[in-house]
Amino acid sequence: MIYLFYILVFPGILFLSVFALAAEFIDRKLYAKLQNRIGPPWFQPLADMIKLLGKEDIVPTDANARMFKLMPLVAFTSTVTAFFYIPIWGERSIYYFNGDLVVVLYLLTIPTLTFFIGGWYSTSLFARLGSVRTLTQLFAYEVPLFMGILSSALIANSWSLSEIAVFYAHRPWFWVSNIIGFAVSLIALVGKLEKAPFDIPEAETEIVAGSFTEYSGRHLAFFRLSIDIEMIVGASLLAAVFLPFGLEFSAPIAFIFYIIKVLFIVALIAVFRTIFARLRIDQMVHFCWKYLVPLSLLQLLINLILKDILT
Amino acid sequence: MGLVDCIVNWGRIKSPWILHFNSGACNACDIEIIATLTPRYDIERFGVLLKGTPRHADVLVCSGPVTFQVEDRLKRIYEQMAEPKFVVAVGTCACSGGVFKGCYNIKGGINTAIPVSLYIPGCPASPKAIIDGVVKLLESLEEKEGKE
Ligand code: SF4
Repeated sequence: MIYLFYILVFPGILFLSVFALAAEFIDRKLYAKLQNRIGPPWFQPLADMIKLLGKEDIVPTDANARMFKLMPLVAFTSTVTAFFYIPIWGERSIYYFNGDLVVVLYLLTIPTLTFFIGGWYSTSLFARLGSVRTLTQLFAYEVPLFMGILSSALIANSWSLSEIAVFYAHRPWFWVSNIIGFAVSLIALVGKLEKAPFDIPEAETEIVAGSFTEYSGRHLAFFRLSIDIEMIVGASLLAAVFLPFGLEFSAPIAFIFYIIKVLFIVALIAVFRTIFARLRIDQMVHFCWKYLVPLSLLQLLINLILKDILT
Repeated sequence: MGLVDCIVNWGRIKSPWILHFNSGACNACDIEIIATLTPRYDIERFGVLLKGTPRHADVLVCSGPVTFQVEDRLKRIYEQMAEPKFVVAVGTCACSGGVFKGCYNIKGGINTAIPVSLYIPGCPASPKAIIDGVVKLLESLEEKEGKE
């Protein structure tokens, strides 16, 4: 019974969906405020979601119907699953084992692949272009993201997110040594979420809507929701690894700290979205391999030396 | 009308995504439509977003008369949109053919090709008129909800 509660209500599908829609609202409202606009009302993401659920589903005749319909659900499921391994109200998540950090990173890669497959099987030219760009971008940001996050696991001497949180919670000043890793991972996360300046795969001024060009109705609603949830999960991951504050308090206070940390990262992403314009795909790949990867290597080196001194 | 229909209709009223199509306008109406989308008028207040693909859009905003060239394309775009869908004709040309009426290459207003829900006259229609028109379209949806 309790497992069903975990999966369906808290911290599962219901909580995550509400939190994700709230985060999307904050992202859009902040974006509007920074552009000197009023912005959407608070229920806007919910209204978009309900409207899409109530619309007609179109599957193009040339598309592979089974893959086309399956991909939004796969994206949704994998992002929700990843959330169970991230500590949210204290030092431990509900499920943890040694190695869950790798599992979370793996589960966060699956949505990107579903964008590729969904776009590819919808057989529209724009969708295929968008899919190819999605994959190209994946090869650029994935390496710095992994190295940035794993180098902080190096000092903690564990591959488990909960163990890492425990380690940092008891040594509060260690997060300073990870600050380069935090910056690198945050930029790579923006690439993963396909937000500006890395929204090349769905650049609406060039290739209409990228992989989602042929999606409508319910399938599009699930894709949008899973992107929002991916934003929450990615932000929670960064918060758990790089911002180890407030974990030692009791559950409710630690939970409030967690919400504040996630919203802080969401706000940072919204600011990025406002102040940068879209890059070209080659500029993006160059930027990632020329600057982000060396920086994450530097972080790895710092952590190796630090670990040597400490032990 | 059941509770579910009420909620879905609420969602529809609060989140109209638009697609802009120029079916042969002199470009002045298009510029006014673009002006409507700028931060100055900020129609995201009403939940309006500009989408690039007909599959995502709920409202097709057309400007200009229908030329014989563009007629098939206009129909195809209309058919690619998912139900329920609405068409808004912006500008006098889109309403009736306007100054181009009777030209050798012109079929007429938008309603000669596809069904239109709302006409916004003006040459060109000003952003305020377009916003007023879209709000009226949404209000008519609300009235429909009351009647059923
Ligand atoms: S209504 Fe006037 S401004 Fe608009 S397309 Fe026609 S001629 Fe141009």
